[in-house]
Amino acid sequence: MSNILKPLYFAVSWVIITIHNSLSPIFGANSGVSWSLSIVGLVIIIRVLLIPLFVKQIKSQRALTALQPHMKEIQKKYKDDRQKQSEEMMKLYKEHKTNPLASCFPILAQAPIFFSLFTVLNGIGKNPPVRHGVLTQADVVSAAQAKFFGAPISDTFLGTNVTTVKIVTVLLIAFMSATTFTTQRQLMLKGMPKMDSSNNMMLQQQKIMLYLFPLIFAISGVNFPIGVLIYWSTTNLWTWGQQFYVIKRNPTPGSPAYEELQRKRAHKEGTIENPESGSTETIENPDVKGQRKQPKKKKKK
Amino acid sequence: MKKFTVAAIHFYQKWISTSFAPRCKYYPSCSSYAATAIENYGFKGVAMSVWRLMRCNPWSHGGVDYVVIKEKVGTIS
Repeated sequence: MSNILKPLYFAVSWVIITIHNSLSPIFGANSGVSWSLSIVGLVIIIRVLLIPLFVKQIKSQRALTALQPHMKEIQKKYKDDRQKQSEEMMKLYKEHKTNPLASCFPILAQAPIFFSLFTVLNGIGKNPPVRHGVLTQADVVSAAQAKFFGAPISDTFLGTNVTTVKIVTVLLIAFMSATTFTTQRQLMLKGMPKMDSSNNMMLQQQKIMLYLFPLIFAISGVNFPIGVLIYWSTTNLWTWGQQFYVIKRNPTPGSPAYEELQRKRAHKEGTIENPESGSTETIENPDVKGQRKQPKKKKKK
Repeated sequence: MKKFTVAAIHFYQKWISTSFAPRCKYYPSCSSYAATAIENYGFKGVAMSVWRLMRCNPWSHGGVDYVVIKEKVGTIS
């Protein structure tokens, strides 16, 4: 397993050390600021690389506006059969060569990256520090002693008696939990298409997980070195920001946020328009094949 | 082992998947495809699931794709 991941260890450690080396002249080579920002920088690079995928998804979601009449038809036709409904929906997407869903593979592809990052950062946290990838022994020793708000980034909550470390880890775990909680809550309240009562059980499960995730973070977080917690907090914050942007600007059709945006746009143009009537022209011409038709009333903003 | 894997998939579907936005481009979803494939084909089903997951990427168009069970077209579980 570690042999397969070795190239990733190299990549991850290379990014960290490169950022660190370029920050050293400003903050000092052994400074906690340089090391902490290297971890933050790594997160930013990974997430920026993923942006094109994200944009692609948003574009296909926009293209969906043209398919709305077809979608309404399917929803009406298979009102009582949700499975048939989603089957027909997938057929429709395929026919029009547009699919608003993000797809499963990218999440799985991220897992090895996260795992190697974890290994590299966790190695720094070992006593004595263990080096991975291109990091030298001197690098890991320097990183292990670097301080994040007064706490060495290699320390864990459980492995220390120092009050500062305890406070910093608890704050980071609280931050991680809070960002996850708000991200999920925002998605549940505004970002997802409204569910009918037949989906009550799903809603219930979502609610349970909403409160369970922070608990899972708290339990696992006490074992992680501060470096890993920094990574995790940053990536959570990014996810939250990204979702906030999408819900504001490009919400999923059918979700409360989408309706709100429609209302706002209609209001801006001074007409109270029914959001459904916007794309009536596509009904008359049901043979449109996958053309990304931009709805006319959409104003560039 | 087979039962354990399928149970793990069902656990994922019930608890983990529900708390995020739906993302699969296929019907049935990758997870229920995997559960059906593994139930019917065992180890070969794992390979089928991996292949399906790889097809569920940003450049594919998704669609309807059942596990083909022997002669008849599969059902979702």
